[in-house]
Parts: sequence; structure tokens; C-alpha cells
Amino acid sequence: MSKIYPPQPPLPPRESIYGVKPEYIGKRAYQLPGMVFVKIKDLFPDMPEVIWPPPNTKAIREATVKALESIDMSYIKPEHSVNILASHHGFTLLGGEPYAEMLKTIRDVVEERTKCRDIRLRAGVGLRFRETEEYIRKFKLDEYFGSGKAIGITPIDPGIPIETEIGTLYGIRAAYDADWIIHAHNSDVREVHFHRHVDRAVKPFGMSYARIETRSAYHHNLGPRGANFIARAIFESPLVKRKWAFACFLLPTPVGIVGVDADRDLYRLDERITRLNLKTYGKVMHLLGKIDEAIAILDFMCPVPYVFAGGVIFANFCCANIDLFDLDKPFPPYTWYTEAYYDENEKPLSPEIPPPNPAIKAIVINYVWKGYPSVFWSKHFPTIIVGEHHKELFDNDPQNIEFTKYIKAVTPDLDSAIKLAYEIAKTDKIIVFDGAAGGFNVSKSLAELLIKEATKASKEVDEELIHKWLRQRGIKP
Amino acid sequence: MRYVVSIARVDESKCNGCGICERVCPTLSIRVGEDFLAHVDESSCTGCTACMDRCPQYAVSIISLEKPRVLQVDWRKAPYEKMLEICRKAHHHPEEVICFCTGTRAREVAAAILMGADSPEKLSRMTGIRTGCKVECIQPVLRLLNAAGVKLQKPPGYQWYGLTSTLWDLPEAILGKEEYGKFYFLKDKEVMEKIVRGGGNE
Repeated sequence: MSKIYPPQPPLPPRESIYGVKPEYIGKRAYQLPGMVFVKIKDLFPDMPEVIWPPPNTKAIREATVKALESIDMSYIKPEHSVNILASHHGFTLLGGEPYAEMLKTIRDVVEERTKCRDIRLRAGVGLRFRETEEYIRKFKLDEYFGSGKAIGITPIDPGIPIETEIGTLYGIRAAYDADWIIHAHNSDVREVHFHRHVDRAVKPFGMSYARIETRSAYHHNLGPRGANFIARAIFESPLVKRKWAFACFLLPTPVGIVGVDADRDLYRLDERITRLNLKTYGKVMHLLGKIDEAIAILDFMCPVPYVFAGGVIFANFCCANIDLFDLDKPFPPYTWYTEAYYDENEKPLSPEIPPPNPAIKAIVINYVWKGYPSVFWSKHFPTIIVGEHHKELFDNDPQNIEFTKYIKAVTPDLDSAIKLAYEIAKTDKIIVFDGAAGGFNVSKSLAELLIKEATKASKEVDEELIHKWLRQRGIKP
Repeated sequence: MRYVVSIARVDESKCNGCGICERVCPTLSIRVGEDFLAHVDESSCTGCTACMDRCPQYAVSIISLEKPRVLQVDWRKAPYEKMLEICRKAHHHPEEVICFCTGTRAREVAAAILMGADSPEKLSRMTGIRTGCKVECIQPVLRLLNAAGVKLQKPPGYQWYGLTSTLWDLPEAILGKEEYGKFYFLKDKEVMEKIVRGGGNE
């Protein structure tokens, strides 16, 4: 039975070169009057059991050790070098501690089992090139791996040509400068609009570990359903095959971390996470599609599309007016393949381009980071920014210089922003993307809608959609 | 269009002349001189932050300009049919946005090529493309230069390495492979080609 709980506070703001100073963040969205919290486990009782939250680094370490027990590491010799390849995104999950602990544990297990001493961490980034360095410092990974062995790598760093079945692609040289590579990732669905959950597990080979040429080809030069093939082509390359050790994945779900999985066969692991994700994230995303109208408040330390709650990112909500997992639909409402095809009057160049989710009646930005081209949102949704500091952040970001040209207003505080949002949106339904784990901070009116629709959403996924989604990906239901 | 609102500044007390900054700069606006210090050409620097983000000495900062500059090419001043031809050959709709940070459309880049830009660096200086995230627009830029018949000269650093395969030139063997049916290459190609060949909105 679904209940309504008091609103849950998010993680406090964090000092970063990508955000405004924490002291500029005043009231948080959960503190607005009438806010409540809904738990996803209540909405969908068949969600799996979690090992985090509550915070429990011991459980993460134990799960990682257990997952690695059956992994053959005999080919790694004491005199070899090993790169543990990581991605910034893992550090954004539930505060980052679970992912950091998994990375530390992989290092320890490999050292213990192989006696190899030269184990490095190579952690990739999105479009904020110092972000991973911040996480390395925060979680003391440089100290843990040894001085200079834990580094952030970026897509503008020196590259290495990688011969693939579709020709030369380019990786980041530092990712591949060891005898062996360990793919230390997570199964969070996140950018379904880009990878469409087709071979999800290979994605970082076309992203965090890849140069600009590869990432550009992936993001808007290979097709809105085929993009992730770029990553697969690199994963299948002789270079990667020669250096491949194994994969170890943290398993987040909308209710929290459910475990750690590892395999030398990445496609086998991919099938397992695909089944898990379509069943768990699939239900939450399908439920979001049943929201008829809402004000979205962004209130977390990520760029606009990546602020998240209940396991899903804001960009997923922007696409919730279609079934994002359905591969019969070529274009998601948001993706760079889609954004590319709007003319100068912001009209789509083709009827194939679906509009961004019309249920989003207004966006209030209470706390976000810069470092991702986000003008799509201020152009397509009435957007209100809280605080001049946020406006300055966007105005000085080379990726967002025109973002504030399209906004509705800058307000001095959250209260005045939400007052204006009510006037524009003409709804009292609010959903907050504030990094909430295991649920959503929402207005009572939206909580009631989610509770009302959850059973139906669950049934539709179980009885119909999941079978189609799996079949489309070549997986037997 | 790209508003240049800031530029890079080097703290000479921290710079050790390693030269990483000049190898990542998309407009070739920072160079290490004979004094083994990095120097910024303020007239072409766009404040894109690449040098700041990769400087191991944290010697580069970004300072605001009192008067912003605008980088933009008026595509209407280029021969229309030739501009259209370059876009079509590169499989871009002329109105297609190819840089999501600057909002630059394919027609502007094609026009800049027709006006003399023969490298990604010159295109960046003229239109501002490649000076936002520095990542995502390199393929369209290379595709358009290639379509215009420009013979690409490698930059002095590792600003870019080269054109890769795109949907338009995937081998037949890949397109038709049953195992790859889940990537919908043929259907995506069809739907995108239809948009590229379409006339756009009135």
C-alpha cells in the first residue's frame, strides 16, 4: 500500500567549479509548503531489495568481493599494469561513495589475487573536464591508488587510433596505456535518449574512454537508435580485445543499489542489467509518462538534464511523453539527434520529431551546475532561475551563453520562483529532481496521481511493454 | 552565433611552458613563446576554457571581457546553391543545428567554408563553433569541410585527429547484418535522409 511521507532533504550543496557557491543556495524545494515524499518501493512493491541506502560501505565491499570471486584473473601477472576505467557519472550516484568503494575494492582484489602492483585509476568525464578530479580528491582515490595513479581523463587529451569494423575511431590514450583494462561502470540507465538501452554496458567505450571524434560520431552522426554501436565497435576492436580483463558494475535501481555484478563476458552482463533495468527503471519511466501536468524543480548538483530523483534523470521526464525504450520510435523528444532538427523558429523540420514532454508546464532552477549545453530547455519550457548567481553561472559558461536569453525570469528566492511558476503553469503539481534516492519529493497532488497510476503502470510494463522492449533488443522475454 | 564574453589569462608565475594549452586550443590562440611561457592572443581567444581545464599547473584563468565580441558568418552572403550543395553532400539539412553550445547551423559553416575557411580552426575563429563544449561538433565540421573538397591539414596539437564513419558511410555488411538489426541503421538512415532532403519549414 502506497503511503505519503514527510519530504526528504537532499544532499547539501557541494563546492565545485561547476556550481554556485553553496552559501548561495537558500531554501531547498523539499521545504516548500505542501511537499511530501513518495517511495518507489511502495508504488512498485516488486522492486528488488537494496544494500544502499542506508549508507553501508561494508555491504558494497562485500558485494564487490563476491562478484569478483568467480572472475578469472590468472592472465594478470605481477609485472603487468592494469587500468581500472571509471566514469564521472558513477560518482553522482547516491553521493558517490558506493561507486568509490567499488573502485577501491576492485583495486584491492586485483592486487591480492594477482600480486600486480601497478594498478591505476583512469576516470573519464562528461563535458566538465575537471569534474572527475574533484571526485578523486573528495574520495581520496589518489591516496588510495598511490600518488599519480588516479587521474581524470578527458576527450581532448591525447588520443589513440582504434581500428574497428567501421573504420578508425579514437580513444583516450591514457585509458589504454596499460597491459589490461577493467571496465568499472554502473548500470544506471541515465541517458536512454542516447543509448536507447541497446548494448547499454558498452557505452563508456564510446564516451568516457573516448576522444571527441568518437563522441561526436556517437551523439549525432550515427542515428538516433544506432548511436551506441560506436561504443560496441570500439569494444569489439582488436585493441580492446587484447587488453580486456573484465567488467565490474555497480547496480543502482530506482530504489537504491541492489548489488555488484562482474563478468568477463560483457554481453552476458549486459543482458542481466537490461532485464533488471527494463523491469525497474522501465516502470518508473512509464509512470512518469502518466503525469498530465507538473512544475519541475531542479535542485541538485548536476547540469540541467542530469539532475535526478527516484533513479531517473530530468531528461527522462522530458522524454516521458513517448515510450523511450520503444525502438519503433526513431527520435526521442530530447536528444542531440532531435535538437539538431529544429529550425530557427524552433519548429521541427520533420513531423517525425516529437515535442518535448508537454506535461512539463514550467521549470524552476533552484540549484544546477553548468557544463552541458542546455539551451534546449530554456527555449522549449517556461524556465525560471532562482538567484542572480545562477544566471551569472550560465551567462559565463561557453556551453550556455544564450541560455538565459530565453528564460522567463530570475527571482531572488525559491518562494517567488514557485509563485511565478504557479501562475504560468496553472497547476499545483510539483516534481522535484533533487537527487532523492528511492522516491520523489512531490506536491501532495502529484503524489496522489502517482499512487493512483502506479498499479496500472506496473501491469502494463509486466504484461506488455517489457516483452516488446526485450524482443527489440534481441533478448528472449 | 557565439558571444565571446571572456578570454583566457595566464599566470606567468605558475606556467612552466609545458605546451598542453596550445595543443588543445580550438582556435590556436595560445602559444608558448621563446620565453617558455604561454601567451594568449586576445583577439582570437574565445574563452572556451580548454586551456584552463587541461593546464596541469592551474596557471590559466578566465577573465570577463568588458565588451563582448560576436562570432558569426552571415550565410546569406555566400552563394546559395553552393552552400546548399556542401550541406547536402555532407548529409546535413542547411538549417540543422550542428553545434548545441553556439546554435550554429550547417549553412553558416558551409558559408564560412565558401568564404575561405579551410580548417576547423579557421571555422572556429569565424563562427565560434567548437568553442563551447569542444567535443560534440567536430564530426559535422569535418564532414562539411570534406564535402567541400577541402584537403584537411592536421593541426599542430591534438585538437582533432580525423573524420570517422558516420551513418552515411557505414559499410553494407554492417547495415545488413542481422545481429545489428537492433541498431535500426537502415530505418534511421531513411528517416534522417528524408529530413536532410526536405525543404524545411516556410
